[in-house]
Amino acid sequence: MPYGDNNKHFEHLKLPMTWAVMGVVAVVCIVAALMFLGDRRDDVEPGAYTNRAGFDTVASLPDKALSYPVHKIGDGTNWLDDYFFAVRENRSLKKKVAQLQQDHDRMVELADINARYEKLLNLRTEPPVETVAARSVAVSRGPFANNRLIDAGSNKKIGFGNPVITEHGLVGRIVGVSADVSRVLMVTDVTSHVPVMILRSDARAMMNGDGGGYPKLDFVRGKDSVKVGDQILSSGDGGIFPRGLPVGEAVKGVDGVWRVRLYSNRAPIDFVKVLLFKDFSQLPNGDTLLRTPAVSDVLPPPAQPVGASAPASSASGSSSASGSSASSSAAVTTTGAASSSAASATKPKPVAPKPAAPKPAAPKPAGASNSAAPTPELRPFVPPATTQTTSPAAEGQQ
Amino acid sequence: MKVPGMLGPKRRGISGAAINRGLRSGMASKIVGPWDWILAPALMSIGLTLALAAAFQPFGFYLPEPVSPLILAFAWPLIRPSYFAPLVLGVLGLFLDMFWGASLGFWTISLMLVYGALVTARTYIVGQEWIVVFGIFLLTEGLFFSLCVLLTLVDTGVWPRLWGVVEQAFATTLLFPFVLYLLEKYVHADVRFQ
Repeated sequence: MPYGDNNKHFEHLKLPMTWAVMGVVAVVCIVAALMFLGDRRDDVEPGAYTNRAGFDTVASLPDKALSYPVHKIGDGTNWLDDYFFAVRENRSLKKKVAQLQQDHDRMVELADINARYEKLLNLRTEPPVETVAARSVAVSRGPFANNRLIDAGSNKKIGFGNPVITEHGLVGRIVGVSADVSRVLMVTDVTSHVPVMILRSDARAMMNGDGGGYPKLDFVRGKDSVKVGDQILSSGDGGIFPRGLPVGEAVKGVDGVWRVRLYSNRAPIDFVKVLLFKDFSQLPNGDTLLRTPAVSDVLPPPAQPVGASAPASSASGSSSASGSSASSSAAVTTTGAASSSAASATKPKPVAPKPAAPKPAAPKPAGASNSAAPTPELRPFVPPATTQTTSPAAEGQQ
Repeated sequence: MKVPGMLGPKRRGISGAAINRGLRSGMASKIVGPWDWILAPALMSIGLTLALAAAFQPFGFYLPEPVSPLILAFAWPLIRPSYFAPLVLGVLGLFLDMFWGASLGFWTISLMLVYGALVTARTYIVGQEWIVVFGIFLLTEGLFFSLCVLLTLVDTGVWPRLWGVVEQAFATTLLFPFVLYLLEKYVHADVRFQ
């Protein structure tokens, strides 16, 4: 009997080890290829990361534990830094506060004017968006994927697509949510495409990530629409991001491609804010817009010319008692026209304002006119093409 | 005369019983189980990946992000062909896919192709000088990251930033001493591997 005994027929039948291992490798490769084909990343959809929610929850635990001492040490060093450099920092902060106080006063004034314009023009304004603060616990920053895990999830109403920002600028958006952990797709990821606009020229472009710290600015149209240092904001096109989020500055790469120096890279990303903004569906719909209150319900009544009759002054539409530049000029122009037409019917002399006259026909503040005559009905702005009542005198003024 | 039972728990290690067949301890052979050269390094690789993913930027710089399972995909086929190692390597690739947010199968395919290529070529590599092994490692690494770039291009239609690929490849190369350590420790550790 050359090989073995009767009970062990296959003891010398040996499968070549290398070929058998290659068979295992082939099976694993086939399974991986099928998974790869079924999990394409070119379209980031809500269901793409659903199967990873449990994994993210578990994987974030060790990084939370690791980041705890790191954050504690960082807080301690910051405390030491504050203690030793308090005087110098105090001096620079005083200068900053003085400057910021001026900026703040200017901002309040402009915000007031802007709000009045929006109401006058019945603009569709975006509602304020709620935010949720979270802390970054894990980072993937390689060239093939740029993701970040944050320690807030669906328990805090975070949903797919919510934009994520820092105090400096846009970071990314939510692509995976579990109860307490969310996955943020960074704007530098190869699958990230953010519609942006250049603030100076109002030109539109698409910011495409390539795995590096400087995303590319593609589809830029127009000559000189981008210059080095131009501020880049989110345009809101497509409805994924709200309009006006600060993104970065335009820079030109060594390869001649326009890129964006991200504001969010100015400092390490630790705390982030998640905007609970979904898309345009959060904006008011048509029915809501129709229920928008009329301007006459929002603004104080207009100035009343002393020498003019009530119907003539009521035609002077959009005059505002605020004294803002645009509305004031519109009030002067239209009031002048209406006053002259009314004066031509009653008095021969013009009613143009005279500084020396005891009762000038120029508009007065709302309080004074209210005391003098009953308040006319104020209607929203009507385009001039529909009201052709401008007299030659008014045309001469224009 | 020493017998296995006389060695005591401290000499046994955490896995694999030490066998002393009447020889001095230095010449004694040790049974190297899957835990020693497959599972323990795999867990260390996962731990390293998790640790380097911490949201911590010392002095404003990011931590490096090496592909540590590539070290195992290079060392394991050189130590010995195994049915178990490619399965564990597939799990490691799946872990990277999930943790780093890549498409499922992205890292698994790349790692498995490296493993398969080295299994077929292992007889030409084992026993060479370390500089030769290092050169082959660099060649393997280049092929590995080229495959990753190609898969990214197929998956997303976008070329990833090549300088970033070079940076990640450099960070991975810094782990090459662990390849030498694994080869030194396990290639001739068990007579059954021969």
